[in-house]
Amino acid sequence: MGSTDTTRVRDAATTAAELSGRAARLCRRALDAGADQAEVYSVRSQKIGVTFEKGDLKLSQVDDGSTLGVRVFKGGKLGFASTNQASDEALAGVARDALALCALNPPDDANRLPATRAAAPALDLIDPAIQALGIEEVVDYGQRFLDRAAQHDARLAIDKASVELHFTTHSLVNSEGVELSESDAALGTSIFGMAIDGDDVGGFHYTGDNIRRASRIEASLASAADEFAEVCLGNLNTGVGESYNGPVLFAPDAVLDLFVAPVVSAASAIAVQRGRSALKGKLGESIAHESFQLLDDPTDLALTGAASFDREGQPIGAFPIVENGVLASYLYNAYAAAVEGRESTGHAVGGARGLPGLGPHALSMAPGQGGDRDALLRSMGRGLYVMRFSGSIDPASGDFSGVAKSARWVEGGQVVRSVREILISGNAFELLRRFVALSSTAPTLHGAARAPWALVDGVSVTAG
Amino acid sequence: MQTQDPTDLLAEVLAKKAGGFVELRFHKRRTRSVAVEKGRVDSSRISEHTGVGVRVLEDGTWGFASTDRVESAAIEKAIDDARRAARASAAKRKERTPDLPRVELARGRFDAPGIDLIDKPIDEALALVLRLEQDARKASSAIQSASSSYTELYEEKGVVTSDGAKAWSRLVRPEFRIMAVASEAGELQRGVERVGVTGGWECLFQHDSPEVLTERASRTAVDLLKAGYPSGGRKRVLLSPNLVGILTHEAIGHTVEADFVASGSCARGKLGARVGSDLVTLCDSGISEYHEGAGGSLPVDDEGVPTQRTTIIDGGKLVSYLHDRESAAAFGVAPTGNARAWEYDDEPLIRMRNTYIAPGEQTYDELVAGIEDGLLLDGAGNGQADANGEFMFGTLTARTIKNGKLGELQRGVNISGQAFDVLCSVDGVSSEFRWDLGSGYCGKGQPAKVDAGGPWVSCEVLVGGRQ
Repeated sequence: MGSTDTTRVRDAATTAAELSGRAARLCRRALDAGADQAEVYSVRSQKIGVTFEKGDLKLSQVDDGSTLGVRVFKGGKLGFASTNQASDEALAGVARDALALCALNPPDDANRLPATRAAAPALDLIDPAIQALGIEEVVDYGQRFLDRAAQHDARLAIDKASVELHFTTHSLVNSEGVELSESDAALGTSIFGMAIDGDDVGGFHYTGDNIRRASRIEASLASAADEFAEVCLGNLNTGVGESYNGPVLFAPDAVLDLFVAPVVSAASAIAVQRGRSALKGKLGESIAHESFQLLDDPTDLALTGAASFDREGQPIGAFPIVENGVLASYLYNAYAAAVEGRESTGHAVGGARGLPGLGPHALSMAPGQGGDRDALLRSMGRGLYVMRFSGSIDPASGDFSGVAKSARWVEGGQVVRSVREILISGNAFELLRRFVALSSTAPTLHGAARAPWALVDGVSVTAG
Repeated sequence: MQTQDPTDLLAEVLAKKAGGFVELRFHKRRTRSVAVEKGRVDSSRISEHTGVGVRVLEDGTWGFASTDRVESAAIEKAIDDARRAARASAAKRKERTPDLPRVELARGRFDAPGIDLIDKPIDEALALVLRLEQDARKASSAIQSASSSYTELYEEKGVVTSDGAKAWSRLVRPEFRIMAVASEAGELQRGVERVGVTGGWECLFQHDSPEVLTERASRTAVDLLKAGYPSGGRKRVLLSPNLVGILTHEAIGHTVEADFVASGSCARGKLGARVGSDLVTLCDSGISEYHEGAGGSLPVDDEGVPTQRTTIIDGGKLVSYLHDRESAAAFGVAPTGNARAWEYDDEPLIRMRNTYIAPGEQTYDELVAGIEDGLLLDGAGNGQADANGEFMFGTLTARTIKNGKLGELQRGVNISGQAFDVLCSVDGVSSEFRWDLGSGYCGKGQPAKVDAGGPWVSCEVLVGGRQ
């Protein structure tokens, strides 16, 4: 295909060795500068991408960059600095910055690196056929993706579509002897646009996927393109809905935003420790309908967050958060764990440009037994079907309010029209107990998480 | 800490690799931030991200590459990579992009006010957020938790193009945020105050001191514990300047970005048409109009075009879209200085800067007095607009208005409407004006630092209260 090295990614072993070597040098500099403990997290990201706008190829792009972030502890104090520059001078500067910040901060007994633990089994994150893709192949996949969507109907207006190969290597080195690295190759797709019929401009829709296996590329492109076309065309010819309080069917995207996200936010041990979690004191208690099961599963290779270690080098694996409606565990990173004198659950997250945060890696909400989407529409009979939620959710209280996007009005168990200007509101934690049924499948959402369709009672609906 | 102007180096490399359109953009961002919650320093961080983005127009197709090494050989290689990427995809391009027309491009040095802030030790900011977080927790026994943060973005940019731009600009954007969470009978409510500017420390607190912001956040959290929910439905509302800012940015601004117009947004084909009441004049500006410090200010955009004020709606009529160089050429108008890239490895996109409704002639009191049955809404949450002009955004608080008098506090809600319908419903615009979203970021594939604001505005929207 005539590509050169610059438009193809490099091999994993060389990249990991280079990155770890640089991280080890920075770690040593931080210790030499006076740190009690030091940790360097580094990421090298190589990208080959193509973007289409308004149905035509817009831009091809190749990028390659690395960032190193150093966290230091001294006398219980914390400091952090990062740089994307590779020179010895830059590494010395970033170590100095981290120590200078460290000196300013108040001490905290929980400020320390986590205990070193045995590594989790390595994951098979790289398909050589994905890694070998060059700019020509990425452009070709992009064109086929665009064509697949556009062929559905001339009324489709594809504002933006992209296909990007990401080859990422991350490495963690710390002063306690931990030295880990992992590489990942994935093809990401996204498409955004709407349908236009004369003066009728439909609401926009976006979708996409993240694929690690070359054997799945064709099916993934087709699925995303077909879904995009179906939803955009369905957003034309909107009518009005009705105001009511009652059952609403939520598509997986909306389920993730409205119900999964507030639970995960409230299950943060830091939120609990600091009194801003609605799930404080609820460990082992029922917090949701028994059908609600939530797992964080970074061993699921279909999800973007698959990895074998967290942002602090702790091993990670499948981790239940809610089982049969009962809160099974809070999520801990090293700091939150140290506050309670326990072990981290491996939920340190984040990149190389900031301190480790706390969160899940690869959420998977289990399906139920309610059949497919159409069976759930029949169960609801009459009411609102919401594909996407555009609004705000207060993470502390669980109150939410916002617009139901790509919404459909349902009568006699069937979609009868698309509806506009329809708002929904309620409280996520109250509504978790009012699940009526979940679909029997839980598809992946943009490659990032899994969730089923959910029929939920007691939702407040306001029609314009 | 401050970099030597690299535009001479970029110009030398460009001369060596001459041929076709080439745009070289040096960008260094240095971020300093501290964040405190419940007495614990959660984040204390200095981060630098530096490199050169290269964009070329080759065979009528755009190619882009970047390098994190600011040296001749690396930049030359990035130019080669960008050209190779463009050529590899040119065969798929249906309509070749013609050469960009000549326009006036920026040359020289442009420093925004307040850049001395980067020489100020971070100690003072850390001491401030530690003290105010503690003050917030002490404000009431109902306050369970508080957090406070300070973030400062210092940016250096050098843009050199093969058709004449050679601009070096520097600016700093500090932000401060305080949040209090109150609890009663198992219920949690929060109050948040945040400010952000393009400018120095004094500019950041030019309207309210950090102590006033902290007191207000704590009081809001406690008061909301006893507040009820507004009822839903179509209502007349008085929007605060920060909500007017969200309205102008989300509901109007995105629909008039020329790339979105070309795709078929609801603003397409409406130039010259009435889209708002006579009281509505709406602009987007790279300059901080009316008051200093607007958070999205920039002297030169990322294509080297000097920024300016762009009037989008004049007395209710749509008169302009927002453009980069390519869209301006396609529409046959001059570029408006709206091409912006978040970091060196991002390509420039059409983005807003400081978006606002121009002030009117009524006072705030007159606007309240003019509402028989409605709500005063304040405190901007997140927002989003759709291609069809339907928008939604969150509000932190609501207060009833009955017969021209303010009533009880209610919890914030999300509001929605069709952008141009809402502008047509505007029947009152105050003379007071405020930039109030300087701590905000806009998302469009890449983040962008923007600001928005305006006067108090009376209009009709759909309120998403409880049924």
